[in-house]
Amino acid sequence: MTPTEVLDSEIREIRAQVEALRTRRRRVASVLLSNPHLTARLQQRPVREERNRRNAVDLVEQQAKRNTEAAYRACTGITAYKVRDPDPMAVDEGNVLGVRIEVFVEGRFVDTYHVLLIRPHSKHESLLKIHHHTIPSCIPVHRLAHRYLPQLRKDEAEPAEQDLVSFGRALRKELVSWHLRTAAIEKLRKRAELPTGSAKERAEQKEPVFGHIANDFINDTEEDEEDSDMMEEEGERRAPKIARLEADAGVNKVTIIWTDGRTAVAQITKDGQVFKGAVKAKDGQRSTELERNLPGRIETLLDRLSV
Amino acid sequence: MARPAEPIPEETRAIPHSHRLPVDHRDVVRIFSKLSRASLLALTQQWLAKKNRVFCRPYLRKDAEVTDSYDPDDYYLPATTHEELQETYRQLSTRKGGRREVLNRVLLGDWRTGISMYQLGTAEIQHLLDHPTALRWTAQRIVRSSTPTPGADEVTNETDHLPRFQMQTFLSNLSADITPVMRAHYLLTRVQKLPLTILRVYMHDSPYTSELSLANNETRSTGTQKNSARAVLFIFPNGSPFVFVSLATNTGQLVDADGRRLRDHVLQAIPRALSRRNVRYALVNTSFSTKNLNALLAYRGPGKTTAAPGGYSIFSDHSLSQNALDIVATGRSSFTAQEENTKEKEKDGTGEKDLQEATQPAKRTRGRPPARRKPDAEVSNDESNKRRRIAQGRFGVSGDADDGVGIEAFRVGIRDAFPGLSNGSVSVPALVDSETGSEWRPDVRVGFRGKHVFAGIRELVERGVVDGVSMPGWMTGEVEGVGEGEGEDGVTSKRGVGRVSAFAAFLGWHQGEDGSGR
Repeated sequence: MTPTEVLDSEIREIRAQVEALRTRRRRVASVLLSNPHLTARLQQRPVREERNRRNAVDLVEQQAKRNTEAAYRACTGITAYKVRDPDPMAVDEGNVLGVRIEVFVEGRFVDTYHVLLIRPHSKHESLLKIHHHTIPSCIPVHRLAHRYLPQLRKDEAEPAEQDLVSFGRALRKELVSWHLRTAAIEKLRKRAELPTGSAKERAEQKEPVFGHIANDFINDTEEDEEDSDMMEEEGERRAPKIARLEADAGVNKVTIIWTDGRTAVAQITKDGQVFKGAVKAKDGQRSTELERNLPGRIETLLDRLSV
Repeated sequence: MARPAEPIPEETRAIPHSHRLPVDHRDVVRIFSKLSRASLLALTQQWLAKKNRVFCRPYLRKDAEVTDSYDPDDYYLPATTHEELQETYRQLSTRKGGRREVLNRVLLGDWRTGISMYQLGTAEIQHLLDHPTALRWTAQRIVRSSTPTPGADEVTNETDHLPRFQMQTFLSNLSADITPVMRAHYLLTRVQKLPLTILRVYMHDSPYTSELSLANNETRSTGTQKNSARAVLFIFPNGSPFVFVSLATNTGQLVDADGRRLRDHVLQAIPRALSRRNVRYALVNTSFSTKNLNALLAYRGPGKTTAAPGGYSIFSDHSLSQNALDIVATGRSSFTAQEENTKEKEKDGTGEKDLQEATQPAKRTRGRPPARRKPDAEVSNDESNKRRRIAQGRFGVSGDADDGVGIEAFRVGIRDAFPGLSNGSVSVPALVDSETGSEWRPDVRVGFRGKHVFAGIRELVERGVVDGVSMPGWMTGEVEGVGEGEGEDGVTSKRGVGRVSAFAAFLGWHQGEDGSGR
């Protein structure tokens, strides 16, 4: 390494250290500000400058607000908030109602989703319409909106009643169950000793840039390269392993392919129940015995299939 | 009159992967000459993998012996086994060298007998993945065209609202639909790096699927430049109701009329191949077209960003959605952190200045009071900070020149009623047609062009060219119908219905002045 490189790496290290310390300072500061006795103390004890006291009280208040918000978010799962659209031509003077949905899976808050609603009709002030949202497209947000937040039709004078609470509830159910299914598939992958993690991470580990060619059914071998080598060597001596285990984006369908060319496709309900599917051997023969074992919870799918 | 049954089974199939094109075929030369050394080497490893060998037969020693053309003095001596060949290419990848070296070895050496359709397809897809901006794409939305039976739209435990995409079924439906019109080679592949499925259809305007017809078709028509590009690419982002269609060839020229008709036929076959009984689909244009594959995924993809563009982007990243258990109230957004940094820098700067001034007291008393200069700088700094904050508020985390999701053209048509002017003494009333009572709506079109249009507008706001406060929302890229509004021409604004047509990106409307934005 040249001296400049050494210096550069040192600078990088110091920057990272500064960043870490800054985060730590912020965290310690918010813990200090969250002290329940702090407000009382600030008001009772004499201070040299009144301005500093006011600043401190402001900070404590800000922190208290944040704590309340976090508590509501963590406990209720769905929270609403107001947003102002800075667009000067925005509908309803830029008043936007935000609905925030927390997803809690396996002891962690994994993600937050937002739906932003506007009031497009000046006559009917309670009528809401989805303006923007951050819900992935595998969640049927528009169908739910169609059902729970019906819009004013052209020939109608009075709009149908909307039910925002039910909408939020149904949407949260969809989101959480989607995350649960994704987590279940991850666990199955781990059990099958396949690389876990997001598709992107997996791709980085693996050499070939693009993966599986779908229509190579002429030679009928469906397994990945490393497995194909293994298969030829091991032959029939060993029990077939799972070569691929994949689900679609909405995790409504899972595909399992074994090294011996057996393929299983199963459909999953939103609450994680496998309800139907098919298993085919390499020669196209249906395996009714295994197909009978398919229905059941998604988590135990591999146990049922390994008999 | 009974006619004898024609033996046709051979010709009803798609063109198989293993069919080969001569190495001097136009398409082979066109695609292979664009690949980099690393990509070529990666591809050769893939072709020589056991499961692909059937499709990519290299020229081995036994082939040479069969045809009696084995020549020990050959520059590219044919290898004995696939493994030997794999090793050769592995060694090539460990050392440095030119692209040409590998290219020649592939075309003139190990695959001199021809490049298979599989190889051609994988090579083209590899090139696309290497250069995500090589092609122009248009996004099409897949919508239900059949009237759903009552209750079919309900969200239940079992329903899936997206079109079911089972690759094998889709492909066999597609080829059944296309085969009567043309022969084609299909390559359908899942990309690992991006959440995409790519379909490549190599259109062959001939009733035959034999290797000879593939090779001959070209020589017959080279004079007229016919079939200049016969491959069309489709991208299916996983878990999203869109399909991206490649418009132009790699060289940028549009396909000729015949080629376009063939391509349209393939395009029409796609929703039919996705459809099943009682669930029929159609494609609807979303008037979104860009060269940037990442931008397509950001604006028309399956993720969180699709329905939250522009300033709403703060909702899709973590600046607003930090963990519910994170109670750190200070330094919340990335912008505050940024601001902190700049503030600190400024502090450092002023500190230095103070120090300088302190060490040069003589100068201070003699010359013009430097205090006058300082507020000036502060004012401009304050102003640019303010503008930056406004831009931050309007664009959120979008419109960053380095985010890689740039749109290169954006046009909007404004058809709002003429609002009328009042300028002190002179006032022009809004123009109303006395007969029909309708207001006059001038046809105004605004177009933006550049490498990354919204990053450009953001920069204009930050520099004070565009007023960030009164700028209409579509200039941040955020006025876009969520779902059903898309593709239609009407957008309801608060002052009535503005007829709006937008090309390239979004629908938008406009009231008042925005002259600065043009």
